[in-house]
Amino acid sequence: MQRRSFLASVLAASVLPQLSWADAGDPAYLAAAQTADGAFALHGLSLAGESLFALPLPARGHAATAHPTRPLAVAFARRPGTFALVIDCALGQETARLTPPAGRQFNGHGTFSADGARLYTSEVVAETSEGRLGIWDTASWQRIGECATHGVGPHDVKRLPLSEDLLVANGGIQTDPTDRTKLNIATMRPNLARLGPDGALISLAEAPEDLAQNSLRHLALLSDGRAAVATQWEGDPAEAPPLLALWEDGRLTFCPVPEAEMLVMQNYAGSIAYCPARAEIAITSPKGGAVQVFDAAGRFRATHRRADACGVAPAPAGFTVTDGNGAISTLGAAGLQPATRLDVKWDNHLIALDRA
Amino acid sequence: MKRSALLLGPLLALTLAAPVARADVAETVEDHILPGLARFTATTATLAAIDSCEPEALQVAWGAAFDAWVGVGHLRLGPVEEEGRVLAIAFWPDPKGMGQKQTNALLAKADPAVLEPALMAEQSVAVRGLFGLERLLWPTETATGDYPCALTHAIADDLARMAAEIDAEWRASFADHLLNPGPSSRYLTLTEARQALLTTLITGLEFNKDARLGRPLGSFDKPHPERAEAATSGRSTRNLELSLVALRSLARSLHQPIPRTEAAFDRVLANVAKVDLSQVDDPTMWLKADILRQDITAVREAVMAEIAPALGAGVGFNAADGD
Repeated sequence: MQRRSFLASVLAASVLPQLSWADAGDPAYLAAAQTADGAFALHGLSLAGESLFALPLPARGHAATAHPTRPLAVAFARRPGTFALVIDCALGQETARLTPPAGRQFNGHGTFSADGARLYTSEVVAETSEGRLGIWDTASWQRIGECATHGVGPHDVKRLPLSEDLLVANGGIQTDPTDRTKLNIATMRPNLARLGPDGALISLAEAPEDLAQNSLRHLALLSDGRAAVATQWEGDPAEAPPLLALWEDGRLTFCPVPEAEMLVMQNYAGSIAYCPARAEIAITSPKGGAVQVFDAAGRFRATHRRADACGVAPAPAGFTVTDGNGAISTLGAAGLQPATRLDVKWDNHLIALDRA
Repeated sequence: MKRSALLLGPLLALTLAAPVARADVAETVEDHILPGLARFTATTATLAAIDSCEPEALQVAWGAAFDAWVGVGHLRLGPVEEEGRVLAIAFWPDPKGMGQKQTNALLAKADPAVLEPALMAEQSVAVRGLFGLERLLWPTETATGDYPCALTHAIADDLARMAAEIDAEWRASFADHLLNPGPSSRYLTLTEARQALLTTLITGLEFNKDARLGRPLGSFDKPHPERAEAATSGRSTRNLELSLVALRSLARSLHQPIPRTEAAFDRVLANVAKVDLSQVDDPTMWLKADILRQDITAVREAVMAEIAPALGAGVGFNAADGD
């Protein structure tokens, strides 16, 4: 930990009473964005889409994760990531900066343990893209270990509900350590690995052979212990395979869409969310300018159009969707409706702060 | 001479010397999109109106309809995106040969119910549209009985219906979304409307490069001329050329002047005349066709350097570079 951030945290602890998420204005969401002048920031957003705070990021962000109790968020750099910022959303300042150890790169996602004492970061061994989870102590922000993710190019990671187990989406793609060039498309083999908190492999779910080029990348947890995974197809673009799969006890079931909907998403799902109130799953495609909604059994329900839509998170009556044109839209029974707009470009993910 | 006239003089001269055409979203809708859709509606109606089973007459009318489609096929927004129409009009590429398999199955079954418009509209997108018709008009085996011709007429009617619906929906409402952005429009701002049109230009260029050229080119050691678009009817190179001409028209209607973009289009259109996509198993022809890919990349770069900044729009922050 750096001296300055150590002092800041001591100061915060001694002068102020224990701060909670309410002191941060109770943001409902976190989202990274590029500002009009080309800089990058992390916004805390209300349910209605008002920006409650905006903190500068040193480079383009990707996703973030919120501490279960303290008003802390960790914002991750876009891969290959060299930083993760620990942000005190109540004080409006960076309290620590995590840097991956030599030879490791952050991959844009991470999650806390149930008690918030540990942070897990999705990482690769830079040279080989072999997956690692970095393990960090959230009192000292020191790295206390790492474990294998049992796959290549891990991306999203979520902690399973009522459990300390972690679900890792090993996207399967080996990339050049310097420039994101994909190196193994012909032989890629993505999987979803369920790991114990110590890194022990509990289950490994792979796609069938003909879907081996369907990179498993982003996760949404369902209320009943299942998970939904959004994919990005790296095979022949004319094939248009399913981009949503459901994970249950280590098995994957792909969820095809009707023929007329096949190419709507341009073989690319950028984000995924589950709305418990409507028992629906939404996947977004900025490339297709579309959001597709499915029921909790993975049956297709509807396509909604919005250019460059990517960020999606649950809302009380559906979903909130963000896009590269700065709009924050509601998606529910009345379809997709832009609600408000800021002069920013919202990046990949909208993170719901559904704290226990 | 008054001071204002002094200032105005050179400005006027400049304006007269280089007349700048008006160009933006409204011009694109009026001059490029709606006329193109009208042509597609008219040519498919002509095709559907043919009662005869003479292949020549049907082939000519089908060719005119395909020409018209290539003029608007890049406009993947609005009504054409609904109900899977874009696939039902032009199901290509089809690497698994679904179209041929399903056409064969339809012919083998020869179910008259399928010929009813309501049922035809529910058939797989793989058997419908321009490529469904191409398989029937250039059959691999000699057709027998009345059914193939009746199926041809039914698919032509279905195609004309979709064209008319797209045309009507554009004129009734979708054009208005582009022309009047705001809270009740699909597009919140003029920038978003411009972005939507710019995106069709860019993705249209990419489709020509990656699909119309990329599929038959395969690799230098393993070219696939048989995988070219509409290879059976010999339209592959024509489609590429017509599409580039249409995309140049779109670029011109989006912004003026665009000298760098014009030069890049001139180059690719001059080079496309030297190419025959059915001959790319000849190494010399393969290389000539490969040059077109570089030429199209140059057009894309020109558009992004010249038109995108002028419109204040890009192709989408998240769409451009996914993760």
